[in-house]
Amino acid sequence: MNLKRLLVERIEHRIIVGTVSFLAIMVLVGWIAINEGGRMKSFEFQYEARAIERGAELFTANCTSCHGPDGRGLQGVAPALNSPLLFGYDYLPEYHRELNTLNLEVTGLEAEKRLPTTTPERITAIDARLAEIDARKAAMETEIAGTIAQMQAAIDKGYNPDGFSRLVNLGWQGSLNSFVYTTLVHGRPTSSSYWPGAMVAWSQTAGGPLRADQIQDIAYYILNWDKGSEWTLEDLLAVNQFPKIPADPDLVMVGGGEPVIGAATSPQDVLAGLEGLTGDPQSGQTLYNGALACAGCHLNAAVAPLLEGTWTRVNEVRLADPALAGYTGEQYLAESIIHPNNYTATGYVSGLMPANFGDRLTYQNLADIIAYLKSQDQPAS
Amino acid sequence: MSVLPFPSFLDDVKEKGLKRALFEGINEVVERATAGMNVQDLREALRGDAPSRKPNPRLQPHADGFWLHMRPSYFHKSVTGLYPEFRLGWLSTYFVFFETITGIFLMVWYTPSPEIAYANMLSIMSNVPMGQFVRDLHRLGAEAMVLIVTLHMLRTFLTASYKKPREFTWFTGVVLAIATFFLSFSGYLLPWDQLSLWAVTIGASMVEAAPPEIVGTNLNLIFRGGPELGANGLLRFYLLHVLAVPALLFVFLGVHYYKVVVHGHSLPPNEENIGEDTAKRVPLDKRVYFIPDILTSEVMWLGVTTLILIVLVTWFFHAPLENHADPQVTPLGTTAPWYFLWIQGALKLGDKVIWGIVFPTVVIVFLMLYPYLDVAKSRRWAHRRVSLTIAFAMASGFTVLSYMGLSEFGVVNSADIEILHEITKEPAHNHLGIIRPIPFDELTPGMYITRQFLAEEGSEAAAVAAFNQEIGNGSLPLEGGVTFLSYLSSGQHLPVSSLNFTVLSEGTELYHVMEEFAHMVESEDKELYNGWGAVIITDWQEDLKRVDVIISWDEVVMERGFPVLDENGEPILVLDENGSPTRRVNSDHIFLHRNAQYFEAPGA
Repeated sequence: MNLKRLLVERIEHRIIVGTVSFLAIMVLVGWIAINEGGRMKSFEFQYEARAIERGAELFTANCTSCHGPDGRGLQGVAPALNSPLLFGYDYLPEYHRELNTLNLEVTGLEAEKRLPTTTPERITAIDARLAEIDARKAAMETEIAGTIAQMQAAIDKGYNPDGFSRLVNLGWQGSLNSFVYTTLVHGRPTSSSYWPGAMVAWSQTAGGPLRADQIQDIAYYILNWDKGSEWTLEDLLAVNQFPKIPADPDLVMVGGGEPVIGAATSPQDVLAGLEGLTGDPQSGQTLYNGALACAGCHLNAAVAPLLEGTWTRVNEVRLADPALAGYTGEQYLAESIIHPNNYTATGYVSGLMPANFGDRLTYQNLADIIAYLKSQDQPAS
Repeated sequence: MSVLPFPSFLDDVKEKGLKRALFEGINEVVERATAGMNVQDLREALRGDAPSRKPNPRLQPHADGFWLHMRPSYFHKSVTGLYPEFRLGWLSTYFVFFETITGIFLMVWYTPSPEIAYANMLSIMSNVPMGQFVRDLHRLGAEAMVLIVTLHMLRTFLTASYKKPREFTWFTGVVLAIATFFLSFSGYLLPWDQLSLWAVTIGASMVEAAPPEIVGTNLNLIFRGGPELGANGLLRFYLLHVLAVPALLFVFLGVHYYKVVVHGHSLPPNEENIGEDTAKRVPLDKRVYFIPDILTSEVMWLGVTTLILIVLVTWFFHAPLENHADPQVTPLGTTAPWYFLWIQGALKLGDKVIWGIVFPTVVIVFLMLYPYLDVAKSRRWAHRRVSLTIAFAMASGFTVLSYMGLSEFGVVNSADIEILHEITKEPAHNHLGIIRPIPFDELTPGMYITRQFLAEEGSEAAAVAAFNQEIGNGSLPLEGGVTFLSYLSSGQHLPVSSLNFTVLSEGTELYHVMEEFAHMVESEDKELYNGWGAVIITDWQEDLKRVDVIISWDEVVMERGFPVLDENGEPILVLDENGSPTRRVNSDHIFLHRNAQYFEAPGA
C-alpha cells in the first residue's frame, strides 16, 4: 500500500493537467457548438420521418375503415386523401392560366364598355375583341377535350377539372397542414348531412381519443402522399371517392318542398304569383323570426329599418318617394324581399340584404310574411 | 491632502508613484477576495514554495472566508491518495453542482405539463443550440451520481469510517443517498416519454401497497396526483425534482461537510491504534495543506472529470428519448430505473407489502442506525467480520435482486411475442428491433419465408415453392375459421389479394435478418411447433415502406408459459373437434421511413 499521494504529485504537473483539460473542454464544446446546426436539422429530419411512421400506424388503425387502406377513399363512405385534389394538383395548368388571363380581360373590357366616356368606335372594337376571346375559349376547350375525356371516369365520380384544389373549393385560407390538422382535431360534425356518418373529432382537446402529437403524426403521414409535380392521371382515376361540397345553407328552402319563386323572377311575375293568395300573419311571424332570421338585422335601426311600424312607414314615407310612384304597399314589400337591391331606402347601404330569398320562399311564404308585416301598422312608441 | 474625508487612490499615487500605488491596490483587492492571501502569497503557493511570512497566510481563508470554512485547512497525508477515499465524496459533491448547473439550463426550456413537456424535449433536441448536449450531460451526471454516491457509501462502510465520532455524518450521508435516488427518480418522469411514464409507474405502484389500504390508496393519490399519472403527477414530480429534494439535499450536504471539518477525514484503519481517532491530531510532517496542494488537485480534477463527461456525451452516450408517454400502451419489458431494480426484483419474491414496503424501509433504517448498532471500537479488517459479511451479503444481495428485477427474469412471454418484439421493437433501453437498421433501399418489396433458410443448400427455391404450395395462395385455414389471406387483408389491413413467396438473394442485411428470424423460430420449435416466419414488405408511400412480420405454428399444450412434453420429449398438439391441429398465427407490422435513421448506437 505505498501508493503515491495526490496521484499527480507535483504541483506544476497538476497545473498543466488542469490547464490542458480546460483547454480540451473549450475545444470540444466549441466543436460541438459548430456542429449544432447540422445536428438539430438532422434530428428534425429524423423526427419527421418517425412521425410519418407513427402516423401510418395510427392511420391504419383508425382511418382505413372509412378512407381506405391506401387513402383513396371508399365509395359513398368518405373521400380520398391520397388524391391530387387534396394537394391542388392542376392537370390543365396552361389552359387555366390562359383562361384566367382571358377572363380578366373580359371583365376589364366589359367595365370599359359601360363607362359613359367610351366612344362608339371603341365599343365596336371591344365587341370584336370579346367575340375573338369567345372563339379562343371555344378552341381551347377543343384542345383540352382529349385530356378531359381521359379524366371522364373521375369526372363521373364528382371531380371537376376546373375546381382542382380542395382548399380553394372550400375557401380555406390557411395551409394544407392546418386544414388537415384542424379537420383531424375537430372532425366534420356536420358531414352526416352528406355522408352516411359524420367524421368524429379525433383530438382529446375536442373529446376524441388522440393526443395532439398523434394528430400531428397523422397529418404528417397524410401530407406525405403529396407527389408534388408528379401526380399522374392514374392517380386521379384510382381515386374511389371525391369530396362533396355541401349545399350552401343559405339556399336551404323553407317552403317544405313546394316550388320556390326563384330569385330571378321579375317583380311583375312575383306580383302575378301572389294573386289570389291569402297570407297568414302567424306563419309569417314564424318565418320572420325563425328560418329566415329577418329579425337578426331588422332590430337595429342603424343596420336595417325596424320591424315596428313597417306598414305605416311604407305607406307614409317610402311611397312618397317619386321613384316609387304607382307602387302599392304590398308591391313594394314583395319587391323589396325578392329583389332587395332594386331600391334602397334613404340612409341605408345597398347590397346588405341577401338577394336569395326568391330561391328559398314559395309564394305562400311570401304572402305570409307580407301579411305579418302589414300587421305592423303602429310606429314604435 | 484629499478633498475626500478618507485617503483616496489619487493620494496614494501622489505619495508613492503610479506603479507602486497600483500594485498595492491590486494586492489589497486580491487579499480581500481570497480572505487573507495577497499576490505574493498566491505566487508562492502556486510555485510550491513554503509561505514566506507568519502567521501562515494559507490558513487565513479557512478562518475568514465563507467557502473554505467548509473545508479543513489541511489533510492527513494518508487520505490524499487514491485509497482510502477514491475521491468518491468529492465526486458526489461535484455532481451535486454539476447537476444543478445543467439542470438550471434545462429548466429554462421546460414546462411541467403533459401537453407540452414532450414537445419541449423535441424543441431541446431540434431547436435549442447545445440543448441535446446539456440534456445528455444532465442525464449522464444523474446516472453517474447515483453510482458514485453508492460507491462512496460502500467505501465508508468497508473502512468503518462511520464509527464514533462520525455516526451522525454517516446518518446524514444515508439521507443524502436517498435524496440522490429520489432526485434521479423524480427526474426520470419529466421528459414524459414512454420510458419515463412506465419506469415511474412501476416505482410509484409500490406506494399503493402501503398498509392499511386506506393509507396506501391515499398515499398513492398524493404521490401521483390522481389515480393515473397525469398533469398533477408530473407537476408534483417536477417540484420534487427542482425544489423539495434539492432543498433537503443542500441542507444535509451542509451538515455532512460541517461534520467533515469538525471530525477530520477518517484515516485508513491500519494507521491508527484501536479505539483512537487521530484525524484531528495530524503530526506536522504528515500535513498536506489545502492551499495549495488539495486546492490545485481539486481544480485539476474538476477539469479532468468535466472533460471525461464531455467526451462521453460527445461520442458514447446520449440521453434516451422514446415515444410520447401513452398510458394505453404498455411496452414489453418495462423496468424501473436500474438503481431501483432491486426493489422490483424483491417484489417478484412475493407479497407486495413485505417486499415492496417493509423490506426497503428495513434496509434504509438498518443503514441509518448501523453506526449506533456496531459500537465495537476496532476498525481493523480482522475485527469486523460481521460488518464485512453484512456488507458483502448486501452487495451481492442487491446485485442478485437487481438481476431479478430485469424483465428477462421470471416474466414469461410466449415465444411468438418475444420473437416479434425482437424483430420489430421501437428503440428502447438502447435496443431496437433487428429489422429497423436495415438500409431503406435493401428492403426490397416482396414476400419472404424462413423455410428458405432451413433448406439444404441449393434447394432453397424448391423449399419456397413447396411453401407456396402449402399455403395455397393464402387459403390455408387458421384458428377461428379464417384463411391466411383474409387474416392479412381484413385483420391486418394489408392490401394483398394473392400471395407469392420468393427466394431472397444473399448478401443483403435483410437476408441476415431473415436468417436470424429463421433461427429464432427454429430454436423455439417445441413451442412454435411446425412453425414458420414470414416477412412481407410493401411499398406504402413515397419513402415509406410497410413491413409485416408473421409467425404461424401449430398450437401445443402449455403450462406456466412452457410447452408440456410427452415421454418422447415432443410437445402435445392441441387438436380441434376434427382431430386436426389448431393453426395459430401472430403478426406485427411496422412502417419504415427512409430518413428515420435507426441504427445501433448509444441512445438510439
